[in-house]
Amino acid sequence: MDLSPALDVPAATAGKPAALQLPPHEPSHGQRTSKHSAAERAQAFDFANIGLWRAHQFDTARKGVTATGFMALDAELPGGGWPHRVLTELLLPHPGLGELRLLVPALSRIAGAGDASVPIGRSVMLFDPPAALCGWALAQLGVDAQQLLVVYGREGARGAATLRRMLPSADLLWALEQALKSGHVGAVLAWLPLRLKADALRRLQLAAQAHDGPVFLFREVDARTKPSAAPLRLLLQGAGIDRLSVRVLKRRGPLLTQPLELSLPRVLSERLRQRAEAKAQAAVAATQQTHSSVEASR
Amino acid sequence: MLWIAVHLPQLSLESFATTVNPIWRDRPMALIESHRITQVDARAAELGIQQGAKRATALALAGDLVLGQADPARDAQALQAVAYVALELTPMVCIEACDSSGAAVPVVLLEVQASLRCFGGFTRLVDHLRRALQPLGHSVQVASAPTALGAAMLARWRRDLVSGPHSVDLGALQCLLDAAPVWLLGPGREHWEALQGMGLRQLSDLRRLPRSGLARRFGTALLADLDRARGDAPDPREAIICPNVFEQRIELFTRADTAEQMMAGARVLISRLVAWARVRHARVAAFTLRMHHEAHRLRDAHSSELAVGLAEPSIDATHLASLLAERLARTPLAGPALEMSLHCDAVVQAAAPNAELFPTRGAEREGLTRLIERLQARLGAEGVQRLALVADHRPERAVSSMPAQSAIASNTAPSAPTLDGGPVRPLWLLREPLPLPEHGSRPWLDGTPLQLLAGPERIESGWWDGDLAARDYFIARTLDGALVWVYRARLPLSEPDGAGWFLQGRFA
Repeated sequence: MDLSPALDVPAATAGKPAALQLPPHEPSHGQRTSKHSAAERAQAFDFANIGLWRAHQFDTARKGVTATGFMALDAELPGGGWPHRVLTELLLPHPGLGELRLLVPALSRIAGAGDASVPIGRSVMLFDPPAALCGWALAQLGVDAQQLLVVYGREGARGAATLRRMLPSADLLWALEQALKSGHVGAVLAWLPLRLKADALRRLQLAAQAHDGPVFLFREVDARTKPSAAPLRLLLQGAGIDRLSVRVLKRRGPLLTQPLELSLPRVLSERLRQRAEAKAQAAVAATQQTHSSVEASR
Repeated sequence: MLWIAVHLPQLSLESFATTVNPIWRDRPMALIESHRITQVDARAAELGIQQGAKRATALALAGDLVLGQADPARDAQALQAVAYVALELTPMVCIEACDSSGAAVPVVLLEVQASLRCFGGFTRLVDHLRRALQPLGHSVQVASAPTALGAAMLARWRRDLVSGPHSVDLGALQCLLDAAPVWLLGPGREHWEALQGMGLRQLSDLRRLPRSGLARRFGTALLADLDRARGDAPDPREAIICPNVFEQRIELFTRADTAEQMMAGARVLISRLVAWARVRHARVAAFTLRMHHEAHRLRDAHSSELAVGLAEPSIDATHLASLLAERLARTPLAGPALEMSLHCDAVVQAAAPNAELFPTRGAEREGLTRLIERLQARLGAEGVQRLALVADHRPERAVSSMPAQSAIASNTAPSAPTLDGGPVRPLWLLREPLPLPEHGSRPWLDGTPLQLLAGPERIESGWWDGDLAARDYFIARTLDGALVWVYRARLPLSEPDGAGWFLQGRFA
């Protein structure tokens, strides 16, 4: 279990002595306690401004967020959305779980829907995606595909796929850092390999401070046990058709043990989905029946 | 009239320093001419090397002394760049590479009377000039006077003054010149010893003598110079004209083996290029770096070219240099380079960039274009791609991407697709369809059977471009509930290994 969220101090303020200062002790302590309770004093002192928060509260010092589009998820994220200027790590067992549909509402907010009436949105950069992105599908989901830029490392398009999965390309990390530092990109999505050094992540986290938008890093589930500088880490797991289970591994706020069940933008129509569920149940029942019949025959 | 003279006392040495390997930059440097030291830099002077010292003496004092030779052509190019900077302030700029006696005293003269108001007064104008000259990296001595020659003389007079004497009216200039030493007059140098012997040290001494006698002894040129400097005789000058094409070359003192060594010289060339583009009120759209390589054999002598094009024209020297550096870093050099030249004829006329106080959309788009350029310089044009929507029913053709040109998407792509209620497409499409094994008439993926949920959706034909497709597409689910897009090929005869099930995409 990842216990770090409560202990995590934002990188931006960790070095400053201000972050270490505790609420000032008032000299006339005994007199004042009768008038003001401890909670009131704590409230009067602005914890958020120095980058501290209590383990049972959310970090409210977040400067900007983009709403996720899922009410249940918004409620569980500090600030109420995907945080800007920090890394967000999404761990998933394999691509194609529905991770993009999870981000689509936020991306369409950033990139715009490709509609002429809406002012042109900001661009979204994707680094080394595992497969080609279908522009039509994005347009169907309401994301302006024209705002998307896909960046491949030098050996990205043709290099050995297995090697790329293991080791990060120096070019790609450089490009990612440049994009974050420039601050001109609306959102960044990067697929990073498993064997990524912790200091590379920390470097990215520092670069992300100049980036006014969310940064999503997709990594494999095995990265879960490794230390990470990202203040928000989510574990994604499939939970049936058009559903995704999101588990908050780390956040600037209290621990969350229960995974969230989100219903994603739908691929299948309701009728088809019901039929599929019925089929699946029938299949399960059938296997159980065969099992029981086999056991009975024994 | 108000002339500003910019004297560059160390020009030869500084232009030599640009050709030297950057790792030698912190070594003492000197110029040598027929076995005598002619110019020394601050480090060499500290070690006690003086002008006129013999080569052996200098080398004994400083073992790691870098000795170079003055090259008038190289100096002229550096002086040209200084003149480009000066042209920003006034159209009347002239170059004096040597005085009338032929000694090399590089001076750039600017007539600024008409520009004073535009630049907010004399002090600000001189500040502007100094700031603009900074990227070129020359040490300068600046002076001003109502006459061109007078300004040039004042600028050369005092080496210890960073900013030389300034005189606004003719009377003040004449007073100053009276106290000036005779050697400031060009021809005075020839007769320096004779003048010394006659006890003539200052210009006032010279002026007190009868003119006819002076003319007979020292020639009329001396008197003519004196008159022009004091404003007694007219001094017509011809302004230089900025060329339409920028072309400068550097012959390297040490051969450059690596990109960093190339960049040391190229940075100087780029700062000159930017000065040139500023004069033309233009932005650089593309430039070419030509490198001449060392030849092992005579017939190997060759040169290579590196063309850098910009999606959005720019006059930012650091941006141009970073683009060139990235390109150089990923281009293998054909051999050690001995000489490089920068050529630019592609400029775009544009208004000067606006400095903005708060970040705006326009600034962000410009910044994004630069980011794309920088990434493409290192990753190649294919490294940054933009999705393109193609109206085609075959999924592998409907999705294509092309190298991103700039931050603004081209409008050639079909406008917002009206696919509401149309067939669903997965977000991930595999670049190559993945063949799936079939067991019990069901496709299997990763060792588990797929459950077909929706379909078939028949996608067919494409005879017009030789890419015939005949497939039945299904949406299927894997065991963990993820949805995939699979198809069954319907034309096994046309492609022997094209039969069976394939994974085309994933509903991410």
